[in-house]
Amino acid sequence: MPHPLTRRPLSRRRLLAGAALMALSSLGFSSQALAEGPWQRLEAASERLGDATPATEGLVLELPHVSEDGAAVPLTVRFEGALADDDHLSEIHLFATGNPAPEIASFQLTPQGGLPEISTRVRLNESQEVIAIAKSHRGETFATAREVRITVSGCLMRGDDQGPEALANPRVSLPERFTAGEPGEVRTLINHPMETGLREGADGETLPRHILERFTVTLDGDTAFAADLHQAVSANPYLRFHLSPTEDAEVVFEWQDDSGESARHEASLSLG
Amino acid sequence: MSQHDDRTRHTRRPGLTRRQLLQGMGAASTLPLLGGIAPFAIANGSAGRVVVIGGGFGGATAAKYLKRANPAIEVTLVEPAEVFYTCPFSNLFLGGLRDMRSIAHGYDELRDRYGVRVVHSLAEDVDPDGHRVHLANGETLAYDRLVLSPGIDFRWNGLEGYDEAAAELAPHAWKAGAQSELLRRQLEAMDDGGTFVMVAPENPYRCPPGPYERASLVAHYFSQHKPNSKVLILDAKDSFSKQGLFTAGWERLYGDRIEWVGLSDDGRVTRVDAENLEVETEFGTRHRADVLNVIPPQKAGFIAERAGVTDDSGWVPVKPATFESERVRDVYVVGDATVAAPMPKSGFCANNQAKVVAAAIAAELSGRSAPEPYWTNTCYSLIGPEYGISVAGVYRVQEGVIAEVEGAGGLSPADAPDHIRALEAEYAVGWYNAICQDTWGTSV
Repeated sequence: MPHPLTRRPLSRRRLLAGAALMALSSLGFSSQALAEGPWQRLEAASERLGDATPATEGLVLELPHVSEDGAAVPLTVRFEGALADDDHLSEIHLFATGNPAPEIASFQLTPQGGLPEISTRVRLNESQEVIAIAKSHRGETFATAREVRITVSGCLMRGDDQGPEALANPRVSLPERFTAGEPGEVRTLINHPMETGLREGADGETLPRHILERFTVTLDGDTAFAADLHQAVSANPYLRFHLSPTEDAEVVFEWQDDSGESARHEASLSLG
Repeated sequence: MSQHDDRTRHTRRPGLTRRQLLQGMGAASTLPLLGGIAPFAIANGSAGRVVVIGGGFGGATAAKYLKRANPAIEVTLVEPAEVFYTCPFSNLFLGGLRDMRSIAHGYDELRDRYGVRVVHSLAEDVDPDGHRVHLANGETLAYDRLVLSPGIDFRWNGLEGYDEAAAELAPHAWKAGAQSELLRRQLEAMDDGGTFVMVAPENPYRCPPGPYERASLVAHYFSQHKPNSKVLILDAKDSFSKQGLFTAGWERLYGDRIEWVGLSDDGRVTRVDAENLEVETEFGTRHRADVLNVIPPQKAGFIAERAGVTDDSGWVPVKPATFESERVRDVYVVGDATVAAPMPKSGFCANNQAKVVAAAIAAELSGRSAPEPYWTNTCYSLIGPEYGISVAGVYRVQEGVIAEVEGAGGLSPADAPDHIRALEAEYAVGWYNAICQDTWGTSV
């Protein structure tokens, strides 16, 4: 059964809004015009920014221009800007302007993360703009946006959803060994339906919301990376991020869903 | 052509214009040429020079339909191979249901009947400012309009360990020909009880249902000749084309012979060891194959890069109404190389897109504006020799982008009885014969 999030028609207004934004940036209204960017028009995003005017350079969103599967669009957000030596990026927030609920995910970063670069897969129910906002520990703000076109190809019609058992098979991929001060890439995957609470089941009844809400990574008990997830994160959440441990440590990965259930994975990190 | 005109008339507003007539002809006709019908024919001299690069479904169709639209256009088709093997139905060869000759097509009709100049050489470079194409045989061709139907190239090492040398051990067989024959030989040589492992790519790639048809027909071959052998598909996606129909068909015909592991179950392969026929997934699971088929990540054929029409995705953005490149003037691109979603990367789409391009170029060269296009697509897949399924779609430009027409097209019913599946398998053969007849004029 097709996911309802992928079957909405294109919204002309959003397409036009995107086109207008692209026209502005190509005319060279760079930071000033973009400071009045889509994040100011989206309440959930502007609340995060408060009175701050975000820098529009530094934060990079990678998404395909066209995606043939709105149920799982690969997304990478990365910080390439410069911060003071004693500062670090502490928060990244992702928003989907055209989804029923705009929040996608919020990430909490620490110096133990090392490299602010995160990948996941998201649900986009129509062609729209995706927004990323970031804050540093000392209060610098950054914002960026990307237009994504969603199509569902006839040849790509989806089969029946196969409901995986929630929180089954937590998977973690770690580098064979870490080097002190060098960020190492970590990938995690877990089965979870991420049921949005917006979809009807075969009997016509709305399926109750059932999502993974929180993911945390601790090194010897201290939080090194954390994520708050919303309905717009694809089923079977995938996260790719970095850890930069300074010494050997016990790492604990924990996934918690909104029914109070959780899953854990533990490992020992050794520096080589 | 009366039958087709009637259909056009019924589905459109009254007051049919000549433009609309041409559009109907260009977009969907599979009728043979009727002598003397050439709306824009110019009696004397050249009506323009068009070079077409690539002799597959897109290129051969573009060359033919340019000549149909106006025989006075000088059309040169550049294609290195004298014999073209189609990807459609190459899975039937792998399953032992056809020989290679039956999926081979040539260029005699284009040359002899339509007056296309066919040059069997490789196009090495395009000079878009000088409107010239440089060939490997040293020849330089000047053009007024260029049509690229470059197909796909592979991102060698885009999947760690999979390069051209690895493809000789673990074939892709995603361009039909020698690679298909290699994979077939390996399947034949495999001992009973072995496992055929297929690595399926993430979107977008050529022929979305192709990997699953291939798995089906390899399972068919095993069921006939190697009853203890298995098929394992390791997929970088969580869902695929006609998934429900494939899954039901697999269960019906092959029981548990075919196993599919999707992205969320750690199906994404991140490293290939072709020497040892072993692959490793993103979360470290290793799978050993007896025959290993890797369908690697893809991009537009290299001549598209040389012509400067690709974007940072490696594919070619085009203007929806004409398939002219968004980046380079007077260059038109069709087929798998383009970003045409929701149209899939299929031979049928390439054929349809080529007709739209031919109509647009013929109109432009005679000072008219291009007709308003529409496109259709049908993908048949065989799950067994007598078990066919299909999906069809109709596409138009809406609000400046290609969109699927709601309510048109559709999918084979989920609960069809066996005789419907058998009929669809027959229709698949009819479809193949018709589109090859339309594209190359060869019967099989």
